[in-house]
Amino acid sequence: MNGPIILVILAVVVALRVWLRRRRRSNRNQSRAPAGSALLKGDVGLVAAREVRERVRGKVFRVGTLLILLVVAGAIVVPVLNSGKSRPQRVGVVGAFPAPLREAVVASATSVGITVHLVPEADADAAHRDLRSGRIDLAIVDGRELIVDKAIGSAVTSTTAQLVLSVSKNLGLAEAVESAGLSATQAAELAGAKALPVKSLQPGTAKGATQTTSTVGLILVFIMLTQYNTWILIGVMEEKSSRVVEVLLAAMRPVQLLAGKVLGIGLVAFAQAALVVAFALGLAEAVGSDLLRGTAPLVLVSTLVWLVLGYAFYCWVYAAAGSMAERQDQVQSLAVPLSLPIIFGYVMALIAAGSGSPSTFFKVLAYLPPTAPFAMPVLVGLGAVTWWEFAASAAVSIVCTVGMARLASSVYRRAILRTGRRVQLRELFSRTA
Amino acid sequence: MEGLLELEGLTRRYGALTALDGLSFSVPAGQVVGFLGPNGAGKTTTMRAVFGLTDLDAGRVKWNGAAVGQAERRRFGYMPEERGLYPAMLVGEQLEYLGRLHAMSAHDAAAATKAWLERLGVADRAGSKVEALSHGNQQRVQLAAALVHGPELLILDEPLAGLDPTGIDAIGDVLVEQARAGCCVLFSSHQLDQVEDLCEAVTIIDHGRLVVTGKVDDLATSGARRLVVRVAGDRDASWACNIAGVTVSEVDGGAARLVLDERVDSDSVLRAAMGAGRVTEFVFERRRLSEVFREALA
Repeated sequence: MNGPIILVILAVVVALRVWLRRRRRSNRNQSRAPAGSALLKGDVGLVAAREVRERVRGKVFRVGTLLILLVVAGAIVVPVLNSGKSRPQRVGVVGAFPAPLREAVVASATSVGITVHLVPEADADAAHRDLRSGRIDLAIVDGRELIVDKAIGSAVTSTTAQLVLSVSKNLGLAEAVESAGLSATQAAELAGAKALPVKSLQPGTAKGATQTTSTVGLILVFIMLTQYNTWILIGVMEEKSSRVVEVLLAAMRPVQLLAGKVLGIGLVAFAQAALVVAFALGLAEAVGSDLLRGTAPLVLVSTLVWLVLGYAFYCWVYAAAGSMAERQDQVQSLAVPLSLPIIFGYVMALIAAGSGSPSTFFKVLAYLPPTAPFAMPVLVGLGAVTWWEFAASAAVSIVCTVGMARLASSVYRRAILRTGRRVQLRELFSRTA
Repeated sequence: MEGLLELEGLTRRYGALTALDGLSFSVPAGQVVGFLGPNGAGKTTTMRAVFGLTDLDAGRVKWNGAAVGQAERRRFGYMPEERGLYPAMLVGEQLEYLGRLHAMSAHDAAAATKAWLERLGVADRAGSKVEALSHGNQQRVQLAAALVHGPELLILDEPLAGLDPTGIDAIGDVLVEQARAGCCVLFSSHQLDQVEDLCEAVTIIDHGRLVVTGKVDDLATSGARRLVVRVAGDRDASWACNIAGVTVSEVDGGAARLVLDERVDSDSVLRAAMGAGRVTEFVFERRRLSEVFREALA
């Protein structure tokens, strides 16, 4: 399973290398005196390339990717194994069983998507024995009595229960038709009765497949945002605590180092997410899962979009926080409050995806950059947003990300070279700083 | 390479504390310059200011007469006091990376990395993580990191701290060699005897202000004259204590180290010594750097 991961990563690294080499070559032809935009990009690229190389090499990344793929594989394969392939139900028949009843039983089974095998039983005792041993699921005695092994509660949704309830209803109906003395035509009309269509005032809620896809997408966004932002937080802190930042900043500007770092880690994150999604699509196709039918692909695409937007927003916050600390315990006191909006958005989105009907409050969350990466894909899955609402939320997020990047670079620039105790925000913007 | 680093009126305040107080001096190319001062004198702040790692309240840093910017700093090499390398990154890759950040091509960076690791005797550790190296070897790698791109100006904060004599010799040789090749070399240290061996010139600062700067030779021969006098059988040089204008700076195993005032005639000292016993040693001496340092700060 490591094969595809390494391939995707190699592709990213090779592309970066080629790009950087071209940059270098074009730089060499230009005058080197001013630290122009070409050199700036070159530095950011170098920093990003180092991040990609070091991160991808790490065990954490490989094991993490493997775990995510396993979880996704589980989410796709397990429902397929559970549904669809349910075994045919065996129905034992004791005594008289005229053709109309037989048809009623078969029709009942078809209506709930189950096939039945009818098994003739010698007498009621034999039927009881077979029920207990599990050889049959249901026994019909003289066309008027239904027997199962264990009582079926009202909440049970097993295949057998669905069949039993349906057969029970239809045989009851057949008996009623017979005792009412209706003509064959009237009886046929009754049997062919169709349910009236039901209109609803609100759009339908997502069920089953899309809901699962939404949930898996949410988990993916949550894991990735948490993991990669923690990398940024710890990475920035380690550069500060190891003092390597002094050597680096002697040669480049803080904003270049910062931009290279978030770009590099972002590339790794996106490559991993793309790999997971490609893997999910491929696997779902291969096992014939319905997880990616209906609105599910749309949910997946919007999940990817919001993963990028969410990362872009949060990475700056975490980088700024990392620059204010230089020890593990200092980082922890920063990481907890930072992760609260992520956890909040995640939990709210899980609840909304589960309930199927988003509240107004939840819709508001879909427009706030910290919670939108979770809320918006869920709304997409529920069919509760238009494309322009989606675009508006993305625009809000991009604008806020630009503001956040500026603020974070300012904090980073002031804090990264201050050593000793943890830097307080108010110190950074006071006049003596 | 020719170069001149000039610091003009550097001032840096941290709240009520003044770290640099209008500090000015220059570092010419071609010689190793020692940067001395007691703890908290502002040495590290000065060095960081050259690289823009500390914001200045006033003052300028100039290289060859022009203000120092990003492009100039790429041609400088810096070894910070608290060592700065990625602990988990491989030594060779790290040096190549730093070379490339200083605008070297990948090929040149790889070649320079190899050459410097060989020169400093750590070529076999190119594939090790930095954190796996001994203190001395980490220090060598840190020096290589400052040198890999062939800088015109080399600024090293306490490069000799915690090294054994072999390490001191190895790093000292490189510094002298760089200066001979035309590089501008400034390094700070607490070990004055080592500085004396390595440096042609020193700059001493205290409380963020310049105290003295000049060639070691000039400083050693300037100021009050020094005499070392040994009188047979005399252990504490009590004969010298009462001569007007003569201070006993130290007595070591019978050899009295005397500092002579301008008005004192050395002949009168010799007569006093002969009066105390048979004189076995009577030598004019240069000032030691530690004396220059102590007297400058007194």
